[in-house]
Amino acid sequence: MDAAKTSSIRGILLVLPSMLWLLVFAIIPIVVLLCMSTWTSTMFGIERTWDLKNYVTIVSDSVYATILLRTARIAVIATLLSLLFSYPLAMFLVSMKGRTRSLFLLLMFLPFWSSYVVRSFTWLPVLGRAGLINQTLMSLGIINEPIEWLVFNEGAVYVGLVYVYTLFMVLPIFLSLDRIDPQVLEAARDLGGKPYQVFMKVIWPLSLPGVWSGCVMVFLISVGAYVTPQLLGGTQGTMIGNVIATQFLNTNNWPLGSALSIVLIVMVAVLFAIVGRRLGLKQLFLGERA
Amino acid sequence: MTEGAWQTAALRIYAALFYLFLYVPILVLIVLSFNDSPAMGFPFMGFTTKWYSNVLAGGELVAAMTNSVLIGVVSAFIATALALLTSLGLRHRFLMKGVVFPIILIPIVMPGIVSGVLLLVYIGISGVPYGLWTAVLPAHITWVLPFAFLTLHPQISRFDYALEEAAMDLGAKPFEVFTRVLFPIIRPALIATLLFSFTISFDEFIRTLFVISVDRTVPIYLWVLIMDRVVPFLPAIGVVLMTISMLIAGAGFVLSQRSPSR
Repeated sequence: MDAAKTSSIRGILLVLPSMLWLLVFAIIPIVVLLCMSTWTSTMFGIERTWDLKNYVTIVSDSVYATILLRTARIAVIATLLSLLFSYPLAMFLVSMKGRTRSLFLLLMFLPFWSSYVVRSFTWLPVLGRAGLINQTLMSLGIINEPIEWLVFNEGAVYVGLVYVYTLFMVLPIFLSLDRIDPQVLEAARDLGGKPYQVFMKVIWPLSLPGVWSGCVMVFLISVGAYVTPQLLGGTQGTMIGNVIATQFLNTNNWPLGSALSIVLIVMVAVLFAIVGRRLGLKQLFLGERA
Repeated sequence: MTEGAWQTAALRIYAALFYLFLYVPILVLIVLSFNDSPAMGFPFMGFTTKWYSNVLAGGELVAAMTNSVLIGVVSAFIATALALLTSLGLRHRFLMKGVVFPIILIPIVMPGIVSGVLLLVYIGISGVPYGLWTAVLPAHITWVLPFAFLTLHPQISRFDYALEEAAMDLGAKPFEVFTRVLFPIIRPALIATLLFSFTISFDEFIRTLFVISVDRTVPIYLWVLIMDRVVPFLPAIGVVLMTISMLIAGAGFVLSQRSPSR
């Protein structure tokens, strides 16, 4: 056997265990879910009807259309808010040098090393009736009654989602800003570029790979969120994740829940089809240049 | 002041506000964990450590912690081993090599809630009983695998293949090359990956919620308490959990910084 062939066989044997694992625990389950979504939940259990009734229900029942649209809206707005808040911080981190930079990076990472259940839940004692904001305002005499609209609505979901996932936005933007050669910025300034011109024409375009990477990650996590809307959203901030969970945990309609999950997978696949045309997966997830 | 100085000042003020946003909720949690009040919230009624003794005295948290640690350790080792083999394999050329990366990413790309119900349906159909070792462990390994791979792969692909070739030319068998050349060099990266994998498993919630039976993990235990809404010692549990995750991940961070391949 020649060396190239030995090397090729060795490569296949080495990647085989993880590929088989994902076949059994990721790919086949998706096929099973797809099958389940064409079955029907009846009083006597699940009937294998192989039809598209659940999808028809999703499209025709305005409840599901409303929730799907709201989920898409919340995910898009949460992504844009996260970008807006994270970009200046990434610029700040890049402007820091040496030990100070390491310190601020560590301070950025630290909260994210704990469960998002804890991090979502911490907003209840901040925004709630007996929470920090209401009690502070009341003790200062600014308000007499606790403000009710701080929590259990769509706005609180935005606060929670931006808070819980901002690292996924800051980090890729920071990495792509950090890769910009300082000489390029110097040249732009020497040629008479005003700060905002340098930003719009040089910094922003060069940071786009990081921006895309961050946006994809935050959108992806937000669109499938369950914990944050469940804890902070109330009825007004219910997202598709909560509706899917209800089908499995409460109303016991697995086929409908599966169909809703497939719709969510398709939403994400569309996103990747659009963004993937601009950027490769390796660039999105490893920060490599395509 | 010049325009540049204004810009720097503005960025610094913004950063101060941002870090405030990041840490105020955590500080609130810590303050409330010492609040001597039967309801969770303000005003502060006096200092107490009784919530911590409550948390630690209750057998439930200890049981949940044991489950989480066991699942975390086992899934970290298996996922890291799978990720290591995959990263080593990707240094060779072979047919369909291009599909490996997208397949590894499936668990990350899949929305959390879908990953949760995916295994619920799959295990339900296949007739395997739900539970810690039959369902939660595979769910965690699947979820941790891409993260272990994304941490390990850049370190290993950077590794100079010439060193291995040299060892092989000198007559070392592939396994010897691994144990005596490659392993000592990538050991810090491997330990860092193990620790990161452990924290990802330790904090996992949504993929666990649907397939767990009576034996709870820590985040599930926390969730059940939050849903019951009557427990004043929730902040104390939150602080305990946060401390554990931060310590372990912090150790992983320090180790990865020391990695010689950087």
